[in-house]
Formats: sequence, C-alpha cells, structure tokens
Amino acid sequence: MDSLRIPILKIGDILIASIQVSLHDASAVQFKDDLLQKIYDTRARGVIIDLTALDVVDSFIGRLIADIAAMAGLMGTRVVLTGLQPAVAITLVELGLELPRVLTALNLEKGLSMMQRLTEESDDGPA
Amino acid sequence: MAQPKTAVVRSDLDIVIARTMARDLAKAMSFGAIDQARIATAVSELARNIFLYAGTGKVTVKEIDKSGRKGIEIVCEDQGPGIPDVDLVMQDGYSTSRGMGMGLPGARRLMDEFDLKSQEGVGTRITCRKWKSS
Repeated sequence: MDSLRIPILKIGDILIASIQVSLHDASAVQFKDDLLQKIYDTRARGVIIDLTALDVVDSFIGRLIADIAAMAGLMGTRVVLTGLQPAVAITLVELGLELPRVLTALNLEKGLSMMQRLTEESDDGPA
Repeated sequence: MAQPKTAVVRSDLDIVIARTMARDLAKAMSFGAIDQARIATAVSELARNIFLYAGTGKVTVKEIDKSGRKGIEIVCEDQGPGIPDVDLVMQDGYSTSRGMGMGLPGARRLMDEFDLKSQEGVGTRITCRKWKSS
C-alpha cells in the first residue's frame, strides 16, 4: 500500500511540514523517515511541524512526534510544534502524553519567530 | 436513534476509519468539540490495540439513552489471544509492544465508563461509554 507523503517545505534553513490529513500509522512513520532524511540533505537548522488541521492526535502520533523531536535534536536540529487545537491539547494531557521535551508555539507565525530566535542564539555560540 | 455502526479493524487504515466513524456519531449527537476529540482518541487507542494484539476485530458505536440522558457506547471486540492480567495492562506505563503503555489506561481516562472483559485464548471485549453533560 502506498503511504501518503506529507510535503516538507524549505524556507531558508528552516523546514516546515503542515500535516493536513489524519495520518494512519504507516504514513506517520514514512513522514518521520522523510523528515529526518530531509534534515540531513538540506542541513536544516530548524523544523516546524504544524498540526493546526489535526483534530485527533492519539498516543501513536504523539509518541512519534516526541521521537522526531528527539531524533532531530540528536542531529542538531530544533523542532517546534505549532497549532495544537484546544481539544487535542486536552486529550493528549488526559492520555498522559504531555510531550515535555517538545518545544511548542500557538501558531505557525509564532513558531517561525521562536525558531528565528533559537537559531540566532545558536549563532552566538554557547553563553 | 441512529442504527449502531460497525467498523472491522484489520489494518492501520481501519484505525482511522473506526475513529472517524465514532467522531461522526459524536458530532451528530451534538457532543462538544473536546468530547468529540476524547471519544475519537479513545477509539483510536482501542482499535490500535485490536490491530496490534489480535490482528483483527471490530468496533461498534451506538447512541444510548439512560433515563433521558444520552450517551455514546463503544464496543471493541476481538478473538485474539486475550489478556492474562487485566489489572497489569490497566496500569500506566505497562506495554508489551511498541506503544508507551498508555493505550488502555489512557482510553479509560478519556471515557466516563470503561469495562474490560478478556479470556485467554478466547478474546477481549471492551465496552466504554461517554455521557452528554447537559
């Protein structure tokens, strides 16, 4: 079965992926693999994953996003998650999946400015 | 009242179909957006358990009524290996597979009532309900 591919856009040295449809497990895993490969190929310094359009994020997708953030982190790339709907935030916490180590922003615009700050900070080197 | 609806679960695509079916019914019953998400997420967790542990099974959703109070009932059934120790799988963090062990306890937290019956070698049946708050 062909899995659905999530488009990953590059703007400067930031990658943006906006997930617009409900992902089944295989396409979610495909997205993780595609994104990590694209980070490597483009040497992106930051990734924004926008979930505005998702009305369900279950433990599988939640865990996968936490994994992506950890894996990208190992490669030296920051991940910011944007656009979680209130109902999604509530169900994730009630499920017990609080994504404590994933950076988040209210929407894509705030996520972009957060990412700019983060990448500028790392330009200055460690404090 | 609407007829009960059933989705057969035998692939990861069916997990999405089952939870969409549950959300559609919850929406038709005028559950709020947050309860719709809770119900759809609980079905996603339960349907994934069927897919991972039993391989195949089914999810049935229906509207219920108790003394005028409306609710949604979800029944997940499989003829899989069954669960030897139900108390253990209902603990947070317990998992035998790729999950993080939040599937069953997480689904229970999202719903108002949760009943799990399982027999080794026979299968598992989970019945859960969410009541409308008004």
